[in-house]
Amino acid sequence: MRSSYEEQFVSIEAVLENLRDVDYIANRQMAMTVYLACRLGKPILVEGPAGVGKTELAKATAACLQLPLIRLQCYEGLDESKALYEWKYGKQLLYTQLLKDKMDDIITRGNGFKTAMDKLHQYDDIFFSWPFLEPRPLLKALQAKDGCVLLIDEIDKSDDEFEAFLLEILSDFQVSVPEIGTVEAVTKPLVFLTSNNTRELSEALKRRCLHLYIPFPEAALEREIIRRRVPDISVELAHQVVHFIQDVRKLDLKKVPSISETIDWARVLMILHAEILNPALVRETLNIFIKFEDDVGVVAEKVHHLTAMAVK
Amino acid sequence: MERVLGDFVTAARTAGVRISISETLDAVRAVKVVGYRDRTLMKDALAVSLAKTVEEKILLEDCFERFFAFRFFAADSDRARKDRDIPSLLQTESSLARLLMEEDRAGLMAAMTEAARLENISQIRYFTQRSLFALRILGRMGAGGLDGQIQSLQQIDTPAAAADKARLEGARAYLVENVRNYVQSQYDLFARNEGERRLESELRLVKLSNLEQCYFARIYNIIQRMVKRLNDLHSRRRKAARRGVLDFKRTLRENISYQGMLFAPSWKKKKIERSQIVVICDISRSALRTVRFLLLFLYGLNQEIAKIRTFVFCTNLVEVSDILGSGPVDEALTRIQGGTDIPLIMGRTDYERSFGDFRRDHLVAVTRRTTVLVLGDARNNYNAPRPENLKAIYERCKRLIWLNPEVPALWGSGDSEIRQYKPYCTMVKECNTLEHIERLISALVRR
Repeated sequence: MRSSYEEQFVSIEAVLENLRDVDYIANRQMAMTVYLACRLGKPILVEGPAGVGKTELAKATAACLQLPLIRLQCYEGLDESKALYEWKYGKQLLYTQLLKDKMDDIITRGNGFKTAMDKLHQYDDIFFSWPFLEPRPLLKALQAKDGCVLLIDEIDKSDDEFEAFLLEILSDFQVSVPEIGTVEAVTKPLVFLTSNNTRELSEALKRRCLHLYIPFPEAALEREIIRRRVPDISVELAHQVVHFIQDVRKLDLKKVPSISETIDWARVLMILHAEILNPALVRETLNIFIKFEDDVGVVAEKVHHLTAMAVK
Repeated sequence: MERVLGDFVTAARTAGVRISISETLDAVRAVKVVGYRDRTLMKDALAVSLAKTVEEKILLEDCFERFFAFRFFAADSDRARKDRDIPSLLQTESSLARLLMEEDRAGLMAAMTEAARLENISQIRYFTQRSLFALRILGRMGAGGLDGQIQSLQQIDTPAAAADKARLEGARAYLVENVRNYVQSQYDLFARNEGERRLESELRLVKLSNLEQCYFARIYNIIQRMVKRLNDLHSRRRKAARRGVLDFKRTLRENISYQGMLFAPSWKKKKIERSQIVVICDISRSALRTVRFLLLFLYGLNQEIAKIRTFVFCTNLVEVSDILGSGPVDEALTRIQGGTDIPLIMGRTDYERSFGDFRRDHLVAVTRRTTVLVLGDARNNYNAPRPENLKAIYERCKRLIWLNPEVPALWGSGDSEIRQYKPYCTMVKECNTLEHIERLISALVRR
């Protein structure tokens, strides 16, 4: 079965173009991975430092395919009932109360315990059927008719048990609900998993996925991203900003600034109507892209030198 | 193409990338989708489907460059230019000779890889096999025919024949050299890490006291890997195992909202205790190495798995948990031995006084949940052993394991007092190789 995304993503270039149209500048490797994932029907495990656009990639893909994005944010203690489905206890109770008289009637009309029991058996499935099921993100993703983009964000934050539970979904795109049976995907969703590598993921999970590592972008790519995301910025300033940030990344910092911070900084500079970088301006806006007090000290020392390099 | 990819996977595995069969299948499908026209594209496709960590991606890229290197049969400009103008009298029936004369590099490369494939070059394991493989590949490519031609030319005695013979001999030398290089590169791909691996498995069994300094870096690597494995194995929290019996009171309480119908049971939870380990080590010279590696191991373990307190002794006993906890084990040990900021006397080993010190000052550290590890050779320099101090520790703890770096045959000989201490140990174990340490620690952290 050819799904809609296979039709739209006919080649790697098409993926690149489509992503560019929704303002996401990908490199060739990322585009190829998305293309492969569509073709092979495999999930993508995206890793990389924080803020390089892992989550954004999923969002952009959803946007250019015009499919809904279903997002599951992982955290410690996340379990099936929050990720897959839950029975609507309240509704079940309410309905039993409302139907109490009716049920009394059905059960007592018969004569004898056994007939009553048999009758009851005929109705017991009613309360464990679709209307009483509250679908959670994973089940929603499987039920989406035209397919969807499923984003399982920060999988490394979840427990091992949840990771194991995901395996069935990721390899066969189906889940088992004991009372109803196996639910298969109507259309295979395109799955993205992201991880910040706070813990090692299991081999089994990695094996089922294509593995994409997004590093910090090269200067040219980062300039393009800045120009896309902050359209008003002058070519010169964009050049300087990127040069500066690329140099800062080479310093020994607790947390190096990533793309999202570069974009933020560029936006701030636009608001301040900056035309060109100068040390005073950089020092004032340092806290936009440096998030630790110690790091601010390290960078502040070198601001003069770094700015001179960037402006040159 | 599948076969080439299969060989590539073998090579990548040799380079240290872990690749399963399903991943190989994915790679085959991925390559089919992207095609193999574009070299970088194919490399990326393989990287995405085979390598699952950043380190593996680097290894794989390196392996890819070496595996798909087409640097053989480089144009030998000297030879080519010299002979081009001389018209050849040669009847080149054999395809190999024709390829060589026409300098068809692609053709030669194809012939060579095909011959190598038929000879199963991916099976090469030892460096002594190189000449054999080179010879076999040459044979398959038809180098025998070339030799025949040269010999027959030798019998004709004209200048033209001599020139042809010289050309053929040059071509043969060129061929042999390239095949040799090719076999060498294949050996590097498929077998280079083999020796390394064998060395590692031997290092695990070698006596730590006999270990050469130059292997230390390797040993650290091995320890790190072992520790990682143990951490992975034991830090998995298993909810199911933690679930205990029905908590009836709580169930009643929580189901009041359902009119007292009990349909959401709650369960008691078993509390899992971290292993508590107290290490008492002799750091006199005789035992120092074993101590170092044992501590490297123990402090590599996750804090979640075990809680460790460490005491060292020589003439007297001092607690060093803080020093060890604050920095790398090696630095800490140098600091301890230097004795700069701790009251440790590095005189003759005195077990009697050291255990006495422990009993007097630190006995509260030992509870009925504690495992006590004593590491030392029990050579007390002919002082009285006084095992009652050890007995006091033994009676308070869960178990007391004595690790002796000496081989059992030497226990009790000379000034070794291990026999006197043995009744107060849960077990006495020989401990002088990495293997011993690993086994011990995995037994310690098991629940």
